[in-house]
Amino acid sequence: MSVIAPKFRLGYFLKGIIDNALWIIVLVTLIVVPLIQVLLIYINLPVVDGELLTPFLAFTLIFHPELAVPLVEAIIRSDLFRIAAFPGFGFAALMAAAVIFVERKMLAKLQLRVGPFYCGKIEGIFQLIADGIKLVSKEIIIPDKADKPIFWVAPLLFVGAAAAFVALIPVAPGGEEFDNMPWVVADLDVGLIAVFAVIGFFPIITVLSAWSSNSKYPFIGGIRALHQMVSFEIPLILSLLGVVILTGTLNLNEIVQSQTSFPWILFLPVGAIVFFVAMLAELERIPFDLPEAESEIVAGWLTEFSGMMYGLVQLGSYVKLYAFAALFVTIFLAGYNGPSIYPDFPQDIIDDGIIIPGMTGPLLTVKPFTDGTAVLDQEMINGLIWFVLKTAAVIFFILLIRGVFPRVRIDMLLHIGWYKLIGLAFVNIFIALGLLYSGILAPVGAF
Amino acid sequence: MSKQLTPKSSEKQSTESSKNLPPGLQLENVDDRIMTLNVGPQHPGSGHMRLIIKVDGDYIVNCDPDPGYVHRGEEKMAEYRNYITNIPHLERPVIHDSCNILYPYCLGIEELVGIEVPERAKYLRVIAAELNRCVYTQYWLAIYGIFLGHSTMFMWPAGDRELLIDLLEKMSGARVTHAYFVPGGIRNDVPANFEDVCLRQVNYFEKRIKEYAGIFYDNPILIARTKDTGVLSREDAIRLGTTGSVLRASGVDFDIRKKEPYDVYDELDVHSNVMKAGDSYARSKIPWLDMLESCNIIRQALEKMPKSGGVRTKLKPNPKGGDDEVYRRVESGRGSLGMHIVSDKKPQPYRLKISVGSFRNLIAMPYLLKGEKLGNMPAVYWSLNYWPVEADR
Amino acid sequence: MSTSDNKETAQESTQVEAKPEDKPEDKPKDKPKENLPVFEKSLTDKIQKKFGDKTEIAYVKSNRTRVNVKKEDVVKAAQFIREMGFDHAESVSGVDYPESKEIEVVYHLGSYGDPTLAKQILVLATRATREDDPKPGNDSTKLPSLRDVFYSVEFHERECFEMLGVFFEGHPDNRRLLLPEDWADIPPLRKDFGNKGR
Repeated sequence: MSVIAPKFRLGYFLKGIIDNALWIIVLVTLIVVPLIQVLLIYINLPVVDGELLTPFLAFTLIFHPELAVPLVEAIIRSDLFRIAAFPGFGFAALMAAAVIFVERKMLAKLQLRVGPFYCGKIEGIFQLIADGIKLVSKEIIIPDKADKPIFWVAPLLFVGAAAAFVALIPVAPGGEEFDNMPWVVADLDVGLIAVFAVIGFFPIITVLSAWSSNSKYPFIGGIRALHQMVSFEIPLILSLLGVVILTGTLNLNEIVQSQTSFPWILFLPVGAIVFFVAMLAELERIPFDLPEAESEIVAGWLTEFSGMMYGLVQLGSYVKLYAFAALFVTIFLAGYNGPSIYPDFPQDIIDDGIIIPGMTGPLLTVKPFTDGTAVLDQEMINGLIWFVLKTAAVIFFILLIRGVFPRVRIDMLLHIGWYKLIGLAFVNIFIALGLLYSGILAPVGAF
Repeated sequence: MSKQLTPKSSEKQSTESSKNLPPGLQLENVDDRIMTLNVGPQHPGSGHMRLIIKVDGDYIVNCDPDPGYVHRGEEKMAEYRNYITNIPHLERPVIHDSCNILYPYCLGIEELVGIEVPERAKYLRVIAAELNRCVYTQYWLAIYGIFLGHSTMFMWPAGDRELLIDLLEKMSGARVTHAYFVPGGIRNDVPANFEDVCLRQVNYFEKRIKEYAGIFYDNPILIARTKDTGVLSREDAIRLGTTGSVLRASGVDFDIRKKEPYDVYDELDVHSNVMKAGDSYARSKIPWLDMLESCNIIRQALEKMPKSGGVRTKLKPNPKGGDDEVYRRVESGRGSLGMHIVSDKKPQPYRLKISVGSFRNLIAMPYLLKGEKLGNMPAVYWSLNYWPVEADR
Repeated sequence: MSTSDNKETAQESTQVEAKPEDKPEDKPKDKPKENLPVFEKSLTDKIQKKFGDKTEIAYVKSNRTRVNVKKEDVVKAAQFIREMGFDHAESVSGVDYPESKEIEVVYHLGSYGDPTLAKQILVLATRATREDDPKPGNDSTKLPSLRDVFYSVEFHERECFEMLGVFFEGHPDNRRLLLPEDWADIPPLRKDFGNKGR
């Protein structure tokens, strides 16, 4: 609660206001305006009423907000939006935050308790924001003998690798004007190999952060995490090869397109199971959380991280969780395909689409192939809803396992990873080859 | 520098090189392969006791238990206090199971002084003792969950335990360390509607713990971690003198409530659970089966209890025994708890020796841990139903 | 019980405990033909037949019998008791009698294997002379260890060693168990050791 200072002098008060105003003007002029100018180089300036939208014209948008719509549209069509907001990092961070909250609540209900309750009016929904603010306000303690450059950079690398992973997953189908490019940050022809490459980064980052902490418990935790991740990477990769054999492509979007009538989990259930188990181990989730929260080592390889570094590591962890679940959905559960459940639009929208004055074309169309260019179409919204539902279902199962199982022992873990899962993954490949050569299924264009 | 009191005659390696050592110190060779670990008193994976473990890679070569971190000198303190004044501190070794520690004490003093306990008090004692056993076993199961890394196995028993602690609070006024038993009966009677409330809560409790079968005892990872680890054969269990659930998990049917019934146990139908496997899984399952059995006993006792009557035979002030000694034993949550009371016509006991189940099971710990994997250590160690505070007294 | 005499103690203690015993069937002096004490009497008769004068039967109560032996004979007595069917020790306690300058070690032996002996606890007691003024670290009070006969007494005898200063010959590991490593005072359960303030 704020108290008006006992010694209130009007002069000091006015001085404070003028100081703040001066600082704001200086910062805006020296930093913000050049930043906007640089940014606008990368965003295509649209044409409004026959006139190019310059920054000066943009400032008039304060008074005429309807003129801002083309700017928003241009931002949405730009690459920066894709990377930072929609299928990229912003969306992933939002999903990760939702996952953290749902995990805490769901685990609590499983264990007959309540979970976060007091923050926010309904059932503690602002708990995450409170935790985030708390973490930001904590001091970041660097151990004296730690390897400082790597120690600072390790959480950022972790989040970066997780974000790189997210960048490869197609979230929704795109419309005509995007040249049928789906809503994905990076549409690569070798998308799946890029996924494997990014997954291969995670053990390195774990060991780097453990080693640079220069302390006993992170060291033990890091070595265990290395063992675990490396031994489960092989079945992870092998289990996905079955789908690659049957679709003939490594492009993730084409894999999703190949599942328009059926998901691959129907034909390759063994591969799906192997991938699921190996995914749990890569994520260091219970029952495979030996590196982190074992009762013998304090917190594993993230012992020495404090404050926002710990927050970044947790964020990266949950973004990774979302990305793995999304990968599972993409490859085995038919991605964004699904029957049309978004309710039918009224007839005039079907004909013309939603028109917002000032935009070059309709905002939303129903038919993907239309002569006006639209930002969204109904297929995209439909695909997005299905994608989110399926990812939520997979994440639900991952969280459910946390409440039910204890932790495995290290030799059991290695036994599972090197013997059982690799064996099952090979069985899966044989099933895929069998399906292919017996002519039941084939990649598009093969026969 | 303080001198160790290990006498010279018991030095293990009296070789020439050790002649240069100050007296009381031993020479130990440090091997390159064998690492000495202190699973110490401050460790999330041990109780309040220390295990000095020598590990060769992943296998435990030697285990030397080092209890005594919570040693408070109960037996010495008992020699300075009267029989009644001894009660509050004697129940502290196991705070949840306090009725069962005071049980042999009260039985022994009643035998020494020569008084008879009223019927209603006997039934209430049995009910309180069984409730205490359930409370202790739930706590033990919860900690077992922590050792295995299963958070639900911690939350469920800890939560269900509250039902019974509620009942005990109605009976005695305290959640733990009840100080409810006195020589001559119990301290006070129960409230008026206690029988109905108790029956309802015990029925609900039984329904709750029956669900543990599915999630805990059929859990494949728990079975994989505890089956066939730390196997104690029947002959070894007898030879090592183990007691309680450790003994019954190895196939020896010995339950003091059946073999040497005290109070009204001979009128109740007690079934003792025995499993033959002798591994950690059996040792972790028997206390749960015992809890189900306790619910039955409480229900029978509530039925048969006389509805009214005194609950305490008053002793004269400063009760004294004769020149006599008694040894009474009781089946507590951990095993047989015996008290050896030597009296010499004074109001304080001349010697009070408490023989607890945890201390008697301690000898099984180095025996079982030799040759085990290090990852199995928490599962085996805690399955021996070892309560460090009680073993140290 | 604090005296160490022979046959009078047996009769005295049976007289003394006629009062505290409330169980109606247990009046050993008056009705020696009752069932329960006869069974205990049979156990003690067997011991007395084998060892004769070397042992004395301190008391025969229902389910509890006590045999006092001298320290030279305690190992043989323990072996005989083991053959009778008792297979483990419930507890081992040491009692300090400074006026008669002795420390008594009391073994409570029970049986898991033999169902007829399940209720019985046979108390085996030996005495060792103690010095007048205990000094920390000398092992003048010695008793033979029963660990080779009853394996279960191993930790109990260690505790008795550290609490009362009784050195058990033949015990492989006379080390302290519960007391801290730097305990430099006399063994605490001796009557000479006074709690502070009392």
